[in-house]
Amino acid sequence: MTDTELIEKLKADLGGKVAEIAHPAPRRLFLKVAPQDLIAVTTRLRDVYGVVFLSTISGVDNGETFEIVYHFSTPETDFNLRTEIPRADPHIASITPVIPGAILYERELQDMFGMIIDGLPDPRPLVLPDDWPAGNYPLRKDWKRVRPEEVIPGGKS
Amino acid sequence: MNFQIPIGPQHPALKEPISLRMTVEGEVITDVDIRLGYNHRGMEKLAEEKTWIQNIYLVERICGICSHSHATCYVQGVEKLMDITPPKRGLYIRYLVSELERVHSHLLWLGVAGHEAGFDSFFMYTWRDREIVMDLLEMISGNRVHYAINTLGGVRRDIDEGQKAKILKGVATLRKRSEYYFYIGANEPTFVARIAGVGYLSKESAIALCAVGPTARASGWARDVRKEDPYAVYNEVDFEVATADSCDVLGRVVVRVKELLESYKLIEQMVKGLPAGDIAVKAPRKAKPGEVVSRYEAPRGENIHYIKANGTDKPERLKVRAPTLANYPATVEMLRKGFIADIPLIFAAIDPCICCAERTVTLIAAGSGEESVVRMSDLRRRAITRHQNAPVKRNAVWPL
Repeated sequence: MTDTELIEKLKADLGGKVAEIAHPAPRRLFLKVAPQDLIAVTTRLRDVYGVVFLSTISGVDNGETFEIVYHFSTPETDFNLRTEIPRADPHIASITPVIPGAILYERELQDMFGMIIDGLPDPRPLVLPDDWPAGNYPLRKDWKRVRPEEVIPGGKS
Repeated sequence: MNFQIPIGPQHPALKEPISLRMTVEGEVITDVDIRLGYNHRGMEKLAEEKTWIQNIYLVERICGICSHSHATCYVQGVEKLMDITPPKRGLYIRYLVSELERVHSHLLWLGVAGHEAGFDSFFMYTWRDREIVMDLLEMISGNRVHYAINTLGGVRRDIDEGQKAKILKGVATLRKRSEYYFYIGANEPTFVARIAGVGYLSKESAIALCAVGPTARASGWARDVRKEDPYAVYNEVDFEVATADSCDVLGRVVVRVKELLESYKLIEQMVKGLPAGDIAVKAPRKAKPGEVVSRYEAPRGENIHYIKANGTDKPERLKVRAPTLANYPATVEMLRKGFIADIPLIFAAIDPCICCAERTVTLIAAGSGEESVVRMSDLRRRAITRHQNAPVKRNAVWPL
């Protein structure tokens, strides 16, 4: 099945759930879905189109909203599911019931952007240290690293 | 009675900081908890402050062994964003280095696997032969580790006829040696007995947990980005995807040796079919707004970069997912129900020296799961007290 035929099929099948399907390059499809339809679309893609492999999940800070891109791939084409959630209330459902391999990427999103992934089986921090100050999310655009002043034990001689 | 054995984050047996907590019942591992982040350097944040050119050298330093993988994955994505097509000769040299890097990485891994299985002559053989490919890489790029051969729009160094002859000669030697390893792998009974059936990962689990690279292919799941999403030159060359069905460490060794032989085939095709012409085109300083998903088959599996541009000379967002992260959930699955003695094999680069370096012991109350850290001296005192209060008489003799 070529990409164009696949897009036609997806449009007919998923219809109202997918806002737009972009096709900027061969083998690259970008599907825009609403956050509440994410689980339904992922399940449908897995069961009907054989989309079982999740490469990773990218988060992007767009100011007022956070954009989340789920990069799936099959031997035929790549599906990139894009969704946007408001920064003020950054809740998104976990896709681990559908794709168990998503857990590390979702934990990383929680650490780096302060998104709240609902229904995550293991919500502990992944990459940030245990004593990381609360409310600091490094990949948000307004977060700036301040280098702590160097203290030499015993003072400089 | 459950015990938890902490390995790492700093451990003489670990080459890099990672913390593994194994819950064991006797010799059998019942649960594994992996904690990451001890080596997190904040590169994705840093990349947003560097220019497109500076970032090539930054992403190259994500990894030492597959440095070229990250640089190539990044460069091929940015070239799409900037709408430039590198000349054919440049691309051939770039992916020639990719395949040479795969050869050196797989030879390194084979040696480590042989060492962990107690087959040290295999380790010495593979690492001796790895020097051949390291010398070739040094000859092409001038460096043994960070080749720095990529640039936006092509590569930075050309190769001449003499170098082509040296590469072909080196590859011919390596092929003969790798065929010998393949023979050993299939015919050395002690080696096979040690690695067969260890670290079982079924095909269903490999798919569900999104495993990548040789780990997935050894479980019979034939996924290879070079084949399914042929980037640049890979639709012009002929190669097979190596798989195995045994789903264990033996399968992973077989897949890697087969991939070595495929890589030699690819290197010979690329060297012999090297087109004439330029090696690079000039790249613009800025990229127009857009986004790109770049995928690359690194020696360890699929490497993916998601790059977003905002029209300036710096990226808006660079998301990197290295193949090892994708394989952690599968590793947990492999270690479960395994033996403590198999940890080094399954982890392949971790020595089984678990108790020697840990100077504190974490005790878990079997009922509540509550943790307490005690010093070795306290543990000893507790043992003496317990012994004194034991109902058995201390001066008892064996009844004969």
